[in-house]
Amino acid sequence: MKLSKLIFSLLAMTFVFSSCTKRTDENDNGIYIPVKAAIKGFDPIHSSDIYSATVISQVYEGLMRYHYLKRPYEVVPSLAETMPVISGKGLTYTFKIRKGIKFHDDPAFPGGKGRDLVAGDFVYSFRRLADPSTLNDGFWIIDGKIKGLNEWLDLLKNKKADYSTPIEGLQAPDDNTLVIKLNQPYYQLNYVLTLPYTYAVAHETVEKYGNEYLNHPVGTGPFMFDSWVRNSKIVLKRFPGYHEETYPSEGGPGDKESGMLADAGKKIPFADKLIFVEMPEDAPRWQNFMKGNFDFGELPPDNYDAMILDKKVRPENAAKGMKLSITSGDEYTYVSMNMKDPILGKNKDLRHALSLAHNSQGVADKFQNGHAIPAQSMLPPDISGYDPAYVNPYQKLDIEQAKKLLAKAGYPGGKGLPELTFETLSDSKNRQQAEYFQQNMAAIGVKVVINSNTWPQFQDKIKNMKAQIFGIAWTADYPDGQDFLQLFYSKNISPGPNDSNFSNPEFDKLYEKALLLPPGSERDQLYHKMRDIVVEETPQIFELHRQFYVIRHGWLDNFKFSYMILDYPKYMRVDAKKRAELKAKL
Amino acid sequence: MIPILFGITLLTFCLFNVFGGDPALRFAGRHATPEVIETLRAELGLNRSLPEQYLFFVKQIVTFDYGRSWATKQTIATMIGDGVGASLCLTIPVEIFSIFFCIGLALLAVYYRARFFDKATMVVCLGLLSISSLVYIIVMQYLLAYKFGIFPISGWDPDWIARWQFLLLPWLILFILNLGPSILIYRSVITDELFQDYVRTARAKGVRQDKVFTKHILKNALIPIITVIVIELPFVITGTFLVEHFFSIPGLGGLLIKAFQDSDFPVIKAMTVIVSILYMGLNLVADILYAAVDPRVKLS
Repeated sequence: MKLSKLIFSLLAMTFVFSSCTKRTDENDNGIYIPVKAAIKGFDPIHSSDIYSATVISQVYEGLMRYHYLKRPYEVVPSLAETMPVISGKGLTYTFKIRKGIKFHDDPAFPGGKGRDLVAGDFVYSFRRLADPSTLNDGFWIIDGKIKGLNEWLDLLKNKKADYSTPIEGLQAPDDNTLVIKLNQPYYQLNYVLTLPYTYAVAHETVEKYGNEYLNHPVGTGPFMFDSWVRNSKIVLKRFPGYHEETYPSEGGPGDKESGMLADAGKKIPFADKLIFVEMPEDAPRWQNFMKGNFDFGELPPDNYDAMILDKKVRPENAAKGMKLSITSGDEYTYVSMNMKDPILGKNKDLRHALSLAHNSQGVADKFQNGHAIPAQSMLPPDISGYDPAYVNPYQKLDIEQAKKLLAKAGYPGGKGLPELTFETLSDSKNRQQAEYFQQNMAAIGVKVVINSNTWPQFQDKIKNMKAQIFGIAWTADYPDGQDFLQLFYSKNISPGPNDSNFSNPEFDKLYEKALLLPPGSERDQLYHKMRDIVVEETPQIFELHRQFYVIRHGWLDNFKFSYMILDYPKYMRVDAKKRAELKAKL
Repeated sequence: MIPILFGITLLTFCLFNVFGGDPALRFAGRHATPEVIETLRAELGLNRSLPEQYLFFVKQIVTFDYGRSWATKQTIATMIGDGVGASLCLTIPVEIFSIFFCIGLALLAVYYRARFFDKATMVVCLGLLSISSLVYIIVMQYLLAYKFGIFPISGWDPDWIARWQFLLLPWLILFILNLGPSILIYRSVITDELFQDYVRTARAKGVRQDKVFTKHILKNALIPIITVIVIELPFVITGTFLVEHFFSIPGLGGLLIKAFQDSDFPVIKAMTVIVSILYMGLNLVADILYAAVDPRVKLS
């Protein structure tokens, strides 16, 4: 065959193929989900990144989960029959495990048939989370919390105990009862039990696959493993033995009007399969969404103007059925100042001056397309303790006041103040943000040098208290203000999450007191007092609460997206016929 | 080769131990405590002496057991095994085709030296060279895949036969990216031969011009050409990471990018050593090929 003929044939086949791909199966109700980073594996104890955690949350389940529709977030039972019975002054949690819950079929089980879930599976899963040989980073959620667990851990390290050694605070008196005894009240426990780290795994499967367990997921979730081409695509198929689970009958304000309750009471999941496609680059991922190859997608910054007008989908895209959801990131970004630093740590006026000179709104406009609200404190919206009316006196651009405070700090016009070092990462966005901070500080005469780092260098400097100033973000592990306030507790200083190394005895006292209080107004008041102490001391310049714009196609129903709720695909429904019609026009 | 390999392993080990940061901090995550970090150091063997750690690294190289990735917890052998097929599918066909195409075009350019064809080839090649590879990728993906729908935008199929659909556009882009540098190098190498005495002698003897080019010039130009190709080969195997990244091809290039992004040093260390060994092996192959191409070269 001549070369020209070969090329012609290949191009012809490509045309045939590309026209074939436009035809969509009207019976395919699978959900096509784009993933921005590589999925690392399916082991729940290695679920620290959001992408792996999302995929894991379709295959496994825990005792608790979040209500899909209600905001602020509400914890509801998942594999537990009801919410736990709390006794013994808040120290004993008794869970009744739902009966008839099956694990997915797997050769690890006798006859290859998935067995019933029992309370002992949770005991095993918690032990595994505590076991340091698994090299997981989720142990912090139960570290020091459960009676006898840390003692067992010490024995395990010295090879004086194994998984059969009893732990006082982790017991399964029968197959349907799990009792957790705490060292002291832990009112975040219910939140923690929604995290993938605590999902139930069967010991037979872990023992069979050993270190390769991360490639052999076997859970009780609505979807079971079908295939995985690493760094490319994961397919999960509906688990036919999935227990009775229905779409919620109650929602938040506006949910009924927007049709979010149309499927109330219907059995879930609706989709027969989930297809997670890994696509790290924004441009092809968005192009695939625009062609209908994905059912929804986060709007990349570069495509904002082409898609959005006045915070609404542009009419030409709305005509194609595309809809917008604005999702809170449940996080805040901040500029941290090292309180161990001899210049910054002992000069409150200097820290106030820097805070007043930093233009957070400018950061939102320049780097987030305005998709963010300036953070008045560390507590984001939808998180307990958040007060929408609160205004931080140092979270505004006030150059004149900043200059006055700088003079009061002993550095009029910045004179006598040594150059401050801003540590950042070496990628262009972080570097640009650092330069913007540098410009802001120059307006009051403060000189800042920027130091670019690789991630390990950056992490090492922070964790070893060697970073003077740096920009970073904190995303909620769970929707409790405590998760954000822990960043200022003196026992959490580096290498812990308190990376500004803030230490204030009054704050510590309030923090420890709040830990012993159940959610409610009394605790919220303590949260506000702690917030006020931090604001007054300003170890951090509070920057933004970022928002994410997610676009979906008109054929995807029941879409209420949140980064906190990871099991969302089981609630979503694809109208396959509508997809075939609309996709043909894209 | 052994001393070179020793030097590479020592350099790699020192570099990653100096600049690699503390891996225990990575595992402990953002809720780290000093106790957890200490426990993790013990689990990772980081509390052993540096010579002990180096010997362990050498053992990993000798046994081809590089352990597990810090980022994914997958075995590095599996990760490399998964990626190598995809990378080879992407690069080998293009490399083979472009070697023959570019040598052919370079021969023609020299044949018509200083005439329109030669000048046009030079201008086009310099034009191709002066545009960033990222521009080719973004523009061609946007126009040919997204706008005109001639090719799929991106994707991958584990089936060896079915995956060609996803490879056509990446092949085309890689081919175009290869044209500029390859033709210019080959043209320069062939031109150098053009003025050698043996060419003048052949012409004086009345050998036809086309025979002079194919039998004499090309044969003698093959040694530097083989050198250029051999230098390029390790990159063929590690893939072309930008193309892999934009087209979601799960090859070794993407693996390396992710390893760098995650500072996944076990993967970076393994890849550094493998590519170095490959490089040395290919240089050996090049030496053997020199002898095959030119009888004056003797292997001793």
